[in-house]
Amino acid sequence: MTTGISFEAASSLLEARTIALLGRTLSLGLGSASIALFFGLPFGFLVARSNMPGAAILRPIGAVPLFLPSLFLAIAWAPLVELRGGIAAALVLGFSTFPLVALFSARAFERIDGAKEEAALLAGGLRAVLCMELPLVLPSAFAGASVAFAFAVNDFATPDYVSSVGPKFNVYADEIFASWNLVKDPGRALVTALPLIALTLLTLIPALALRRKGNLATLDSGFRAPSTLDLGKLKWGAFLFAMIPLTVGAFVPIGRLLFESAGLPAQLELGGGVDLAAAWSTMQGAFGQALERSRADLANSILYSTCAAAVAVPIGLIIGHAIERAPRRIGRALEFLGLLPLALPAILFGIGAVFVWSKPATADLYDSGAMAVLLFVGRYVAFPVLLLAGAVASLDRRLEESAAIAGAGPAKRMLRIVAPELRGSLAGSFVLVFVFCMRELDSAILVPAANHTAILRVFNGVHFGRDEYVAALALLLIFAILLPGALWSLFAKKRLEVLR
Amino acid sequence: MSPSPPGRFSVLLPLCLGFLASCAPDADVVIYCALDQVHAEPLLERFEKETGLVVRAEFDVEANKTIGLVSRLRAESGATRCDVFWNNEMGHTVALAEEGLLASYDSPSAKKIPAIFRDEQFRWTGFAARARVFIVNTDLVSPEELAEIKGMWDLFDPKWAGKVGMARPLTGTTLTHMTALYSVLGEERAREYVATAKRLNDEGKLALTSGNATLMKQVKVGELAFGWTDTDDYNVAREGGAHVACVYPDQGEGEIGTLLIPNSVAMIQNAPHESAAKKLIDFILREETERTLAYARSAQIPVRNHVERPDYVRGDFTPMEVDFRTVGRDLPIRQVELKELFLD
Repeated sequence: MTTGISFEAASSLLEARTIALLGRTLSLGLGSASIALFFGLPFGFLVARSNMPGAAILRPIGAVPLFLPSLFLAIAWAPLVELRGGIAAALVLGFSTFPLVALFSARAFERIDGAKEEAALLAGGLRAVLCMELPLVLPSAFAGASVAFAFAVNDFATPDYVSSVGPKFNVYADEIFASWNLVKDPGRALVTALPLIALTLLTLIPALALRRKGNLATLDSGFRAPSTLDLGKLKWGAFLFAMIPLTVGAFVPIGRLLFESAGLPAQLELGGGVDLAAAWSTMQGAFGQALERSRADLANSILYSTCAAAVAVPIGLIIGHAIERAPRRIGRALEFLGLLPLALPAILFGIGAVFVWSKPATADLYDSGAMAVLLFVGRYVAFPVLLLAGAVASLDRRLEESAAIAGAGPAKRMLRIVAPELRGSLAGSFVLVFVFCMRELDSAILVPAANHTAILRVFNGVHFGRDEYVAALALLLIFAILLPGALWSLFAKKRLEVLR
Repeated sequence: MSPSPPGRFSVLLPLCLGFLASCAPDADVVIYCALDQVHAEPLLERFEKETGLVVRAEFDVEANKTIGLVSRLRAESGATRCDVFWNNEMGHTVALAEEGLLASYDSPSAKKIPAIFRDEQFRWTGFAARARVFIVNTDLVSPEELAEIKGMWDLFDPKWAGKVGMARPLTGTTLTHMTALYSVLGEERAREYVATAKRLNDEGKLALTSGNATLMKQVKVGELAFGWTDTDDYNVAREGGAHVACVYPDQGEGEIGTLLIPNSVAMIQNAPHESAAKKLIDFILREETERTLAYARSAQIPVRNHVERPDYVRGDFTPMEVDFRTVGRDLPIRQVELKELFLD
């Protein structure tokens, strides 16, 4: 078996076919990012700064589409609309990732200086406020859109599914997967992935710069928190607008799964109307079956994801702190390294894990759940690194300097000074890693230890008719994904902070 | 004073990894299984009950069908951890045998399996087959039109433009099917077939789905009138009460017949648990397993004619005469060719 980098593999990158695939993937990424930006930027403003009805509750709900596997959206919408192909893929991925833009934008809108805003409001009303604030918020919004782009260009299951009718919309990630499958040359997958890695990095590196610019534009020593803006008659229109991405990205997919778990599609196919008692009974049976068959896999998912988050967050804190506090060049280098895992296609993580750890010396580790945890940590450690770097940037470094003068070592300063101040961000990072690990499929497919998870079982079940049991299991999985964030929001005094 | 959050994490971290590493399952035999989990799992549980051996099973997912496990077997060949490979098709198993990754084992359970489904060196054995058929939506296709759908080329009849489909032939049984066509029809005709499928897809006249199950669902809901699938997928639709029919193509005098793709089972070279692996292979190749799979939702066709089966599991059609050894040897070449044709 060839595992090295062959000349033939490298030269195939220049073929017209490969370049066309890359171009199509680029257009998909740009399309998805544009949709995410179109809905995410206003959504961020509305939930963070306006008196739109339900803003406080819509803000956390706004994250839900990001936490649902994008394929759930595709599967839910396919029977409801005729749209297929590249546009459908861009829409699904755009709505799935709009919370990234909303999150970044909302945080940036909260950093607007209240005094400056009041001056703009007096001078020209809401329009003047928006004109003043947009240039300040756009860098953060574009940073969110860049991450959305990275998600979109690495997804191959969604474009494949939504172009099952009509001309096929092949993307570059297909090429990587197909290369890995080649009998003669599976090592080709690594070479094939290079252009996609480069493309993703080219997008993410400016995103970092944009995010920093967004922060700097709003950090001011005389900063005063801005007040809530009155939308007047527009507030109900704004509410309807905010409901569009939530409906498409969360309510319809979850509603469709509930509909299927109750066996309603089968009832309607028979044409005898809806029997609610039978539907309730079917739903109970489906959930019972899902729990019975998948208890162990659900437990594995929760265990692996919790452990991965517990490992990734301290690593993120240490590296994130170093990014901000180390000399500038070292900090920038660490930031770039921290970003790398985000740029690697998920399937490449799986391939890498098989090659690196499937050795006699590491066989026990490779077979164990620790392998799944390692895989997930590698895949998602970039999030706590970058988020906690941002959080450390907002801390007054004089506190740490004082502690150092008083004789506290680096570990003590980290544990006693930095970490307590970042509780909300640490919890936010933990929840973020947890949810992404819970929904991780592409890298987990290839690694045996990561195969016994609920998401893998859902996708195996989808093959056989997407029946009540599979819908119920998908809902249980969604419930488990959303639970930690919901519990924290309900009971913790400190707000969950994903961005600071 | 209670430890601060990172303090707790620093305690949690080694605990987590230590705990998980110690949780490596103590399996007596490891099987990689490409047959759908819903069908294979109960059989493996029965094996555990009968023998008292603990089985660790790794299943494939639909999007990755078969090939994910095959690629993994290759990648792990330096440190074999799998004992038995249960593939839901034949092509890749033969390819693995050609690469020297499979061990010989002449199972006593396989004595009555026809020679065409057995490797001369006993590196693999075929059993419980699926047929490659057309699934037809009978709401969209009248009985008269159904009678006219007889052969593989009918998929390209302009009358059905935009209403037909097949899975993209890069993985699973569709890849095996197209590879088999090269050896049965000859290079020119087979290439004409796949090129026509690609051209029609570019024109929006033929759907290329992500898998056979997706195609079945699209026919079932009326998005497509008919297309290639496997008999197990057809049976799922039929059992669910969908208005569908099944056409076994190319059954006329002098025609190539319908492709039959058996499951295949093999022991991995240097299997860590050789003795248990042999017991598991013996169990899988029992006539009872074929009977169970025939009555299961997947309605697999027993390759031993005397094995009992339900009425809807047909055995009265003309199978395509195909040499699976040739198919396995050709697979790597066709895989590249089809990738370059269909991924653009």
